[in-house]
Amino acid sequence: MRSPHPEQWRQRNQQKKAAGRRLLTLTASNRHTLTAHWLDPQDGSVHAESLSHAGTFPSLTPVLPEVAWDEREIHDLFGDVPEDHPDLRPLVRTPRWPQAFHPLARSQTSPPNWHDVEPDNPAKLVAGEGITVMKVGPTHAGVIESGHFVFSLIGENVLHLDLHLFQNHRGIEALLEQRPVAAVAPLVTRICAADTVSHQTNWALAIEAMAGYQSAEELRWRRVILLEAERVLSHLNDLAQIPAGVGFQVAQQRALAMKETWQRGLKALFGHRLLFDTVGPGWAQKPSIDGIFILIDNLRQAFKPWRALVQSHHGFMDRMHAVGVVRQASAERLGAEGVAARAAGTSFDARTTMPLYQGLSIVPVVQRGGDVQARFLVRLDELEASLRIIEESATRLRRSPTADPPWVLPHDLTGHVVTYTESPHGLNVHDVEIQAGRTARYHVRPATYRNWPLLAHAVAGNAVADFPLINKSFELCYSCTDR
Amino acid sequence: MSHTRKSLQIRHVDAGSCNGCEQELTALTSRAYDLQRYGLDLVASPRHADALLVTGPVTDTMAAALSKVWDAVPNPKILIALGDCARGCGVFQAAYASHGGVKGAQLQIPGCPPEPGPILAALKTLLTSEASPRAIRPRGTTTRA
Repeated sequence: MRSPHPEQWRQRNQQKKAAGRRLLTLTASNRHTLTAHWLDPQDGSVHAESLSHAGTFPSLTPVLPEVAWDEREIHDLFGDVPEDHPDLRPLVRTPRWPQAFHPLARSQTSPPNWHDVEPDNPAKLVAGEGITVMKVGPTHAGVIESGHFVFSLIGENVLHLDLHLFQNHRGIEALLEQRPVAAVAPLVTRICAADTVSHQTNWALAIEAMAGYQSAEELRWRRVILLEAERVLSHLNDLAQIPAGVGFQVAQQRALAMKETWQRGLKALFGHRLLFDTVGPGWAQKPSIDGIFILIDNLRQAFKPWRALVQSHHGFMDRMHAVGVVRQASAERLGAEGVAARAAGTSFDARTTMPLYQGLSIVPVVQRGGDVQARFLVRLDELEASLRIIEESATRLRRSPTADPPWVLPHDLTGHVVTYTESPHGLNVHDVEIQAGRTARYHVRPATYRNWPLLAHAVAGNAVADFPLINKSFELCYSCTDR
Repeated sequence: MSHTRKSLQIRHVDAGSCNGCEQELTALTSRAYDLQRYGLDLVASPRHADALLVTGPVTDTMAAALSKVWDAVPNPKILIALGDCARGCGVFQAAYASHGGVKGAQLQIPGCPPEPGPILAALKTLLTSEASPRAIRPRGTTTRA
């Protein structure tokens, strides 16, 4: 593709957004190129815009605020400068990183000589009389992932939340570079335990697309079952955590018990309680179909009375109402994904355009409230829909011929593919470039990447004591965001 | 010298985990495992803890925070490495911002992630452990004033 003039870069991407397309990735390479991949939600087609530059490029953030973090990350990891970016503070790097250390500018896997200083980056604070600053983390009082939050408060209300994530940054994208294709899957599986099947499927689909591999019908149904089993697991977890956030212990404990039942079922059916290492290029774990139906029956028996309990509890439902509100216009401006977007009225679910789900009836679950309650209700309905999709897929799997041709990965594979799946947390995208059987570039745009800034937006104006509840209603991943 | 404890309070710190170890550790608080009935519990402050349980390969950004939490746990104290990343044998050991797990843990719980049953069984061994708790510093961290 011919590179546009830098001024056209903004204009063309702005036009894509205005036309209703959704940004899959903004990927940088160490050859001073940028590529934006846009998904057409109507027909599932993917359109690319590319830019070659000489180390600086016009920032898209002033016209597309959803890429503010993408461009900060590119600045940190490649050293390329987005000109006119409104907030170019470090996002991933810390004061401990040597000045010239840009790990993706040249495949860097060995650690640099870290500066012996604290890792804290400058925080954006609100100044003025009566304003207090509250810092939380990076370690937390509960068993959760690490992240640092800086609140500016007036009285009990949040004026601004400044997010300092990437505490768990390991350097996974650099570690994935120059890796033989056969050695990629164990890493991709472990990018994030909550969205692991989605990550594994993206990798498998990328390699299969490059190799021109036509997967058998049977394989397709196995993957749909695994993706939906992961959604059920993740939604059960989040549905347990939201009542925990307001001290509704009965609801939490009963939901955790359902989650445990489901995980034991997954272990029996697929060999792993969190579904690690269950999908790869040319294959997916084969479950016992009878076992699937038994597990679903067991879950439904517990879920139906549990749902009645929580929805008939007026105190609980009221507690979630009008808290942490996201308006649809904000959600779309900031590129919200998944449950957070659908709970704010956006009718987008990537399963409607994924070839894997063709022939299945996928209706996006939409709520209008944009609050904690809306996000809770979306998950309730999505969980029940996932059980129906699993049943239908299992029925079709039973009817499919057991033609699962053994497939040997080509050694000399070369190609560049962008793949996506609707993970439990939203649209999860992988941009994979392979050269002669080794990864040249592997960019992961996880589902929660755009929802973090949205969370900060949703918290502003709320009582700070509601932060845990609002946070749990988003239930965002740190691990795949930080990578 | 052998000693028996009646309880063990544990503080958890994620130092670069994929959230798998966290999910399985959280399962211990559910009624299927109910770790509190054994005198084990996960506590909110290192000041209340007898043991520090670490997950993840110890990222560079988390190393200082981890060291501060360890220093805040009163002596004598126990270091626990939960999962292969913290044990120094996970898949992300070689990443540039990984410090390669914690060194010198008195209790190592293998797995990716370890399942709740084995985690609980391993933690229970600390209640009747032959070894006395001792002070150990997580690897890759330095003493800070």
